Amino acid sequence: MSRRTLSLAVAALVAVGLSGCTSNEPTKDSSSGSGKLAVSSTTDKCELSTKEAPAGNLVFNVTNKGTKVTEFYLLGEDGLRIVGEVENIAPGLSRDLVVRAPAGKYFTACKPGMVGKGIRSDFTVTKSDANLEPTGDDKVLADNASTQYGSYVKDQTEQLLTQTTTFVGLYKSGKDDEARKLYADARMHWERVEPVAESFGDLDPKMDLREADLEPGQKWTGWHRIEKDLWPPKSGYTKLTPTERTTIADQLLKDTKTLYTRTRTAKYPTDKISNGSKELMDEVATGKVTGEEEKWSHTDLWDFQANVDGARIGFEGVRPIVKKKNAALDSSIATKFTALQKLLDKHKKGTGFKLYNELTPAEIKELSTGVNALSEPLSKLTAAVTL
Amino acid sequence: MLANYLIGLREGLEASLVVVILVAYLVKSGRKELLPRIWLGVAAAVAVSLGFGALLTWGPNGLTFKAQEALGGSLSIVAVAFVTWMIFWMARTARTLSSELKGAVDKAIEGGRWSLVLVAILAVGREGLETALFLWAATSAATRGEGSRTDPLIGAALGLATAVVLAWLVYKGALKLNLSKFFTWTGYFLVLVAAGVLSYGVHDLQEASILPGLYDLAFDVSATIKPDSVIGTVLKGTLNFSPATTKLELGAWLLYVIPVMALLIWQVRSNNKSMKSASSAAKKEVAA
Repeated sequence: MSRRTLSLAVAALVAVGLSGCTSNEPTKDSSSGSGKLAVSSTTDKCELSTKEAPAGNLVFNVTNKGTKVTEFYLLGEDGLRIVGEVENIAPGLSRDLVVRAPAGKYFTACKPGMVGKGIRSDFTVTKSDANLEPTGDDKVLADNASTQYGSYVKDQTEQLLTQTTTFVGLYKSGKDDEARKLYADARMHWERVEPVAESFGDLDPKMDLREADLEPGQKWTGWHRIEKDLWPPKSGYTKLTPTERTTIADQLLKDTKTLYTRTRTAKYPTDKISNGSKELMDEVATGKVTGEEEKWSHTDLWDFQANVDGARIGFEGVRPIVKKKNAALDSSIATKFTALQKLLDKHKKGTGFKLYNELTPAEIKELSTGVNALSEPLSKLTAAVTL
Repeated sequence: MLANYLIGLREGLEASLVVVILVAYLVKSGRKELLPRIWLGVAAAVAVSLGFGALLTWGPNGLTFKAQEALGGSLSIVAVAFVTWMIFWMARTARTLSSELKGAVDKAIEGGRWSLVLVAILAVGREGLETALFLWAATSAATRGEGSRTDPLIGAALGLATAVVLAWLVYKGALKLNLSKFFTWTGYFLVLVAAGVLSYGVHDLQEASILPGLYDLAFDVSATIKPDSVIGTVLKGTLNFSPATTKLELGAWLLYVIPVMALLIWQVRSNNKSMKSASSAAKKEVAA
């Protein structure tokens, strides 16, 4: 029982205290006008002045107008997670609950007599411009994650641009064999950062649209248009003329350049990174594991690998935050990434992979199970990172 | 009025019982000169709680709910560690006392002097912040001058006063016990108190989502023992008994009570033995 123990304990408590500070000032443009949400709790009622408030710091001014000691809770969408609570509100007293709440669905509950589930009602927090950015240590971790992911995207788009330039050159000059060899490798850089490209709504359909997804009247351009031309079906297909080739190829290069330029300055908040990871695994589940993505070249496993790479990098970037907030989820995701990579490694062939049509149904099933096993914990990543 | 009174009583009991036993121990073992340290700890805890409470109520910044619960929860667990240390410290010095029947200067206590202050700070401070927040809310309601609004403040004050009276009675009763009985009874009682504080700390951490299983109840007797009833208040105030206890809380309670109680029983027995052998040795000397 030394003084050192004592000072350590005090330091730890001060740290907890400081990291948990929140402003007592409510969000300025609160819809209730007064800035405070009034809650009136009686023996059998729990009335709120409004059922909706903009995201930010919310102040619930809870007044006990009943005869029993009451408590007030703000619960998460599942009705279980406690976002905030005030206890010991004696009859005649009012106390404030201050919470920093992001947009979403909530429940409010008063508990007269402090028993049971409480008198509940729905509560909605709407989107607002309030600054809900993480602060302190969390902000440092979040900033690191953004910087790292930003560098990764820059690096991948740079390589994409280089390889696409070579690829369209080969394709335009009719060197089809060499173009076919480069196709899957060049596309891997695209697939690794696809959620970023998708966030620019105009680019993705022009660059990566599949024939099956064409809408009536839509012009088919991009990677898969060239893919079909390089691996044409045996019958009923007319190869593109050199002029048509040039148009399609130049368009792809132009779009890639646009993507390159835009990603020099783009910013990636942590929720965008973690959601991106999840989206990439969804891409695998809906396109690659079914063999629909590369219908003509059958190089789906390259895309598969690239999506997994991108998802893993995103996850690793936010990992220090996840570790801190939900260590169990962190280790679950990490384990499943490793397991899925092992499954993929089984199908490696030279510097690339087997073609999709060389896989047996059992192997496809196995890959699909691995993807689902990863998607499940990965879907909880954003909540773990941002809440 | 009754509701406010019960809150005061509950919080008061929670804060004072450990302090009372500590004071009784020092008085019984003839170390009254250490009492100011206890009062220093109590005063510091009260001052910090009131100051912090005022700051959180009127200052520009409040604590997030999660931080409040995490702070309360970890403070409770630290308090358990200190109270446990105190239980065994008391049992150990009891042995020294019994073997040196003349009550010679006890050096064992030297290292524990400042820890006494800390035990007092934790015992009072643990519930202090919550009580302070409540009192400030009552004060601001009263100063807004809406007639009956002073009721909560008076009620809570009466409750706190009752807690002090009860604690004083415990103290008087404890003084009447002979030394070995005092150690036995207060020791066992403190183990139960500390176990309650531990499971309460676990509950706080569950509310802050740091530990899981907030809704995984081991039992729920809140229909029989209502939390706002007198019996519920006293059980909560003394043993931190929660009518709706989660499995994790119960687990922590059992994991604490069983080994610590066993250790204490063992220590008390060996104390009695050494006391007997000391007295038989004394008899032999007389006989010789």
